[in-house]
Amino acid sequence: MRSSDSRPAPGLRTSLGPERTEFVLLAFEGPDPYSRAGGLGVRVTQLARSLAEMGYRTHQIFVGSPELPGYEEQAGGLLRLYRWCQWISRYYPHGVYEGENEKLYDFNETVPEFVAERIALPAVRAGRVVVVLAEEWHTAHAVCEISDRLWEAGIRRHALLVWNANNTMGFDRINWGRLGYVATLTTVSRYMKHVMWGRGVNPMVIPNGIAPEALAPVHPRQVAALRRGLAEGGGRVLLVKVGRFDPDKRWLMAVEAVAQLKAMGLAPRLVMRGGIEPHEYEVLGRARALGLTVMPVHQEGEPTAARLASLLASHPDVDVFNLKFFVPDPLLRALYRAADAVLANSGIEPFGLVGLEVMGAGGVAVTGATGEDYAVPYHNAVVLETDDPREIVHHVARLAEEPALGEALRRNGHETAARFAWPDVIAGMLDRLAFAARLQGVAWPAPAAASEGEGPERAREAAAAAEEAP
Amino acid sequence: MAQHLVIYTVVHQPRRLKLPAQPIPRGAVPRDIERCLFDERMNRRYFEKVARTCYHPASQLFLELADRGLKLCIGFSLSFLRQAELWDEALLERFRRLVNHPNVELINVEPYHSFLFYVDIDAFWRRMRQAAEHVRRLFGLRRAPSVTDTTEMFMSNDIYFALVRAGFRGAFMDGRPWVMGWREPSYLYHYTRDLYLLTRHFRLSDDVGYRFSNRSWALWPLFADTYAAWVAEAGGDLVTIGWDFETFGEHHWQETGIFDFMRALPDELGRRGVQALLASEAIQRLAPRSHHLPLPAFPTTWAGEGGVEFFLGNPAQQAIFQLMHHVYHKALLTRDPALVDLALWLLQSDNLHLIQWFGRRGSEAEVSAYFTPREWWRLGPGGIIHELQQVYRNFLVAMDAFLTGEVVYLPGEGPPPARRNAPRPELPPLGPAAQAPAAAAGADGRREAAASQLGTAVAPEAAPPRPSRRRTARLP
Repeated sequence: MRSSDSRPAPGLRTSLGPERTEFVLLAFEGPDPYSRAGGLGVRVTQLARSLAEMGYRTHQIFVGSPELPGYEEQAGGLLRLYRWCQWISRYYPHGVYEGENEKLYDFNETVPEFVAERIALPAVRAGRVVVVLAEEWHTAHAVCEISDRLWEAGIRRHALLVWNANNTMGFDRINWGRLGYVATLTTVSRYMKHVMWGRGVNPMVIPNGIAPEALAPVHPRQVAALRRGLAEGGGRVLLVKVGRFDPDKRWLMAVEAVAQLKAMGLAPRLVMRGGIEPHEYEVLGRARALGLTVMPVHQEGEPTAARLASLLASHPDVDVFNLKFFVPDPLLRALYRAADAVLANSGIEPFGLVGLEVMGAGGVAVTGATGEDYAVPYHNAVVLETDDPREIVHHVARLAEEPALGEALRRNGHETAARFAWPDVIAGMLDRLAFAARLQGVAWPAPAAASEGEGPERAREAAAAAEEAP
Repeated sequence: MAQHLVIYTVVHQPRRLKLPAQPIPRGAVPRDIERCLFDERMNRRYFEKVARTCYHPASQLFLELADRGLKLCIGFSLSFLRQAELWDEALLERFRRLVNHPNVELINVEPYHSFLFYVDIDAFWRRMRQAAEHVRRLFGLRRAPSVTDTTEMFMSNDIYFALVRAGFRGAFMDGRPWVMGWREPSYLYHYTRDLYLLTRHFRLSDDVGYRFSNRSWALWPLFADTYAAWVAEAGGDLVTIGWDFETFGEHHWQETGIFDFMRALPDELGRRGVQALLASEAIQRLAPRSHHLPLPAFPTTWAGEGGVEFFLGNPAQQAIFQLMHHVYHKALLTRDPALVDLALWLLQSDNLHLIQWFGRRGSEAEVSAYFTPREWWRLGPGGIIHELQQVYRNFLVAMDAFLTGEVVYLPGEGPPPARRNAPRPELPPLGPAAQAPAAAAGADGRREAAASQLGTAVAPEAAPPRPSRRRTARLP
């Protein structure tokens, strides 16, 4: 919905205060371990929680675990979780993207009506504007349908629709013309902005953020335990890599670097956690072909740093520890901090949230050179310019030789990460959204006297009355 | 001069498929397969619209006519009754009053409006008998209907004998010239003396059913006195008129005068000495002088030009017809009555009727396109055909799990006893409770629907661990 008239619509405010704004977050991924496959789950979870903590009534709709309640309230009722597609997820226990097409159909079929009638109409009746923040290609069609339904209900002018691209997956399945017409498009980095120009759209850049907790110091005892376990197992260099098994993440580069470091006598240990993607078998096959010993590690009991340290200590012949379980945040952050380097060495990275999280944990992030706008080489991160494993080897060896460099990177990285904490990112985002609201001609509705049960007719009348008001 | 008249109307709503085809989760149980196959929200939308324009006002009209002494026959597809039970109990109650009126006779109808007679004639006759008993119970009648209609008034030699075996005394069939030959439709007929045939006067029926509101028709506007005169002037003993019930208020809007026409008709018929009879009365009265009618091998129908080509005349219809066979036969292989029931729904003739327009032009194609849900047209003609086939393909593949033992049952629900070598299953019971959509009916359905939105989640069975031949470890 573009407006050629740049004047604010009657009633438009330039700020989106919690008292008159309600957020709806749409994404396949969400807070459940079932719903997390990559950075998106972390992003939407933290964004939703931060908005709620700032006082916004926030609705988060995602493909949730089939074992958890379909509806749940958190943050004193301000954060409302809707676990969608559960009847399908029960057939696909291996995560959010298993049965993707089945879930997508259900999502597209049912979410738009739910958002329009069960969230937007009551919000407008209560005098609030609805901001729909949708993520990734899975939600693109739903956003278009939501727009149509809001039009039909006569409340489109009281909603701001925003669609965000965190990566380029599924771009060929998006109707860009329709999506760009009904929603304001955003993305997470200047690299992505350039990529999307090729689709005939010009998104605004709103960076990703991290939770304030991601900046908290990691307990030294956990770090010490991991370093001790490494040493007791005969290891000298601890490397960590986390991400989907996607060739873009350059897993092969990572294992080749490990093999070269091993050949140099640096006794590296790689602790890795991937996804369910088949590229895993290629990665592990390459590792074995390079002479590395790989061991899958399954969860038994609560995963802790002490247990992992014990594992490192008791398997001196293992080079690659392949974690086959969801790694909880405390352990993950301890690994980031304890590692000599965390290989976030993606060839293509829309934003690179892992690198920022590593910085927040006080780790040394080894990033690629595409969407990681936050990474400044030799200041807060190691930034790779090639896909040659020797580049990793070069930097890891140098970090081993110059501990001061590593300390500087950790210190500066942490300062950088602090600037991307969600409250700060959201402050900037709200300003961007206020501008988008101006572009879309959003008008604030007057609170209607209608009770919640009076239905769409009454809401339409109220909305019409609000638009006529001076 | 025809002195007798039988008026028959049939009430039907299709159970429309969900287009574009919804992918069915791997290992889905029948209830979840069902929600992927049928568009119950669309069905409800159309049902409520037609209920408003037709079913409520027309049933009221027919009650008035019955009170005034006009005798009427009415049949209901189970497809319609199921929707009425789910979404408009008051309407069902009104039809119950109508059916129990002494001047109204309930006619049996093929329950799912399906092509079962083509696919499995043995199941067809059992199904027809089952349907008669079901509507008897539903409407609280003392006796089950003795006269029957079939799907789209299909009749052929084998269908006739199937109806005999089901125990009916009479049946409706369309009196097309290609079947009647030199005979007039305005008599009572039989093939054997076991089942009498009320042959629909297709021209007089279509004057109202198709042409009543057609302003380009040379005889428009049609008034009750004219029509009653035509009926009276038809040679023979008996004029049988058959209409869609939706003729009144839906095919012809109330503004066309169709309701006024019907209100005026009884007096005009009476003035010309035409007496309306119930179907069974007509059979009883005229059976001694009924005439033999040879029955065709190729069936006749009241749709289109009266032959099966209306349903199987283009390649798209023929493909769906093949798929109907495949899904039904595979469902039989599973020995699961719930899957057989879903396959029977997929045999609905409407799924062929709705694509009659494919590759065709003219008035029949226009009628077919009129019945095609307007929501489907955004897919384009090719898209509709493709997605319609996809519904069948999805179902066919979804049944794999029932033959390989990979169905994901809810905890506590458990798999049914092994059926692979069991005898062929009995036909599933009729009735809305048995076929209610997941989002609208039974407790389990509600549970599943809620799980997709706000309710309690459904716990899956734990996936078995994948065996590994490689060295592995657990966190100590």
